[in-house]
Amino acid sequence: MIRFDNISKRYPSGLEALKRVSFELEAGEMAFLTGPSGAGKSTLLKLLMLMERPSSGTLLINGKNLNRLSRSLIPSYRRQIGVVFQNHQLLSDRTVFENVALPLQISGYPPSETGRRVRAALDGVGLLGKETHNPLTLSGGEQQRVGIARAVVHKPKILLADEPTGNLDPALSAEIMALFRRFQSVGVTVLIATHDINLINSLDHRIMHLEDGMLTDDGAHSNGQ
Amino acid sequence: MMGRIPMVSNQNTREPMARGASDHKIRLVDRWRSYRAHHRATLTATLKKMLGEPIQTLLTVVVIAIALALPSAMFLALHNMQSLSSGFESSAQITVFVKKNTDSQGITQLGRELKALPEVAVTNYISSEQALEEFKALSGFGSALQYLDDNPLPAVFLVQPVMSSAADISQAQQLVQAIGALAAVDDIQVDMLWMQRLATITDVSKKLVLALGVALIIGVLLVIGNTIRLAIQSRREEIIVVKLVGATDAYVRRPFLYTGLLLGLFGAIMASILLLASFYWVGQSIAVLANLYQSQFQLAGPGFLGILGLWGAGSLIGLIGAWVAVMQHLRAIEPK
Repeated sequence: MIRFDNISKRYPSGLEALKRVSFELEAGEMAFLTGPSGAGKSTLLKLLMLMERPSSGTLLINGKNLNRLSRSLIPSYRRQIGVVFQNHQLLSDRTVFENVALPLQISGYPPSETGRRVRAALDGVGLLGKETHNPLTLSGGEQQRVGIARAVVHKPKILLADEPTGNLDPALSAEIMALFRRFQSVGVTVLIATHDINLINSLDHRIMHLEDGMLTDDGAHSNGQ
Repeated sequence: MMGRIPMVSNQNTREPMARGASDHKIRLVDRWRSYRAHHRATLTATLKKMLGEPIQTLLTVVVIAIALALPSAMFLALHNMQSLSSGFESSAQITVFVKKNTDSQGITQLGRELKALPEVAVTNYISSEQALEEFKALSGFGSALQYLDDNPLPAVFLVQPVMSSAADISQAQQLVQAIGALAAVDDIQVDMLWMQRLATITDVSKKLVLALGVALIIGVLLVIGNTIRLAIQSRREEIIVVKLVGATDAYVRRPFLYTGLLLGLFGAIMASILLLASFYWVGQSIAVLANLYQSQFQLAGPGFLGILGLWGAGSLIGLIGAWVAVMQHLRAIEPK
């Protein structure tokens, strides 16, 4: 589903954030991406979100070469993936419902179906009662769950998460992780960047380790498949 | 506690992305309906946002209104001046004084010669006796004139030239030369010069109005462009978020284009109110003035079509201003 082939990313500043990274993630697989700050985790996710382009190497998503995707096709690509951001990226001038509905609205879903899907997604993260709230009035964990609902409301095949438990206590983190595992169990390919080693060690999933832009551990052998 | 996860149905489990793609297919009708719904929603949201900061909006609208009303008013004034001076054009005439001692045969001959000239439309003969009577009646020197031995007034032909435009100086001068060459002509008096001057002044004013209009329209474009630029900056976060979840450029542009369009339209509506109010105000004085001159002249207003045109132009300028700003600033905002 996701395939990195000798991907390098060098920024104009000269910083080489990724050095010849290669790995493959099967459809329906869940993997963690770990490593110290600045190791290249965020850069790797940005390449997958097409916020950045690789300097060299090929990036294949479901067999399609992302390097060849023109700028005008980026929006439709992004609509097919779900992304959970560390800082939630919620809009504070809209309700929880409107925030979660955003990807559907952008894709052009009819309003009736939008309502149904948004409520289903909010139900899934246990926030059905908070539709009309402003995200700012919610706790950190709740905001993160709104972000997750938004990331999955359009049923993406790939779910990316950048430090989704970054500011949460262990109990909340475990809840969020449980959510991700549920998505994986229904066939979503999940890639989570995190430095929360304690949390992921307690889970039996593939762990990839980045160190100074290089993939030092592919984690494929510990993959439960 | 989390409940079930209904977003991904079980039938889709572990199927390749090809299946996923078909999940994302949305019927064209729905897409169109939702596209229109988004337009409506954007329009309402934009209106709400503008009304939410009334002072800011009002200031911008007033600036636009003044910038639109000024050239419109001047254009209207010019239009009126032209229709007024075209009324004068018919009164442009050449006074041809007949040489003293010309006998009646010579006068008839001159009349025929004048009529034969192609540039002459109408001639009107006033004999020296008629001229004297007229002078007596109009000047109030009637009794004093009785002491004159002899009628000092010459016979006169009033010649109405064919004129395509008042500014056609060379044509008028040629005619004057041709008339001067005729035998029985003593002197010629042309009272077209001031008309030509008026026409030239009108011409110059037209160019000035045009230049000022262009300058003010550029001003409106800049005002709207700057307003949109600030709006884009204040909604930076929102733009990044919608881009991250897959919004197209058109989707991101839409609210800003609506803002520009509405600012332009509201500015134009206010400009038309200003225009009509001042038109009504000036029109009253003009009517009194025209009455004093026994003129039928009436100030011509912008008219229904003119007002509609002003609104259309305002909206278009707003849209263009917003478009320019959006093109300049929106692309620079990309999720990082």
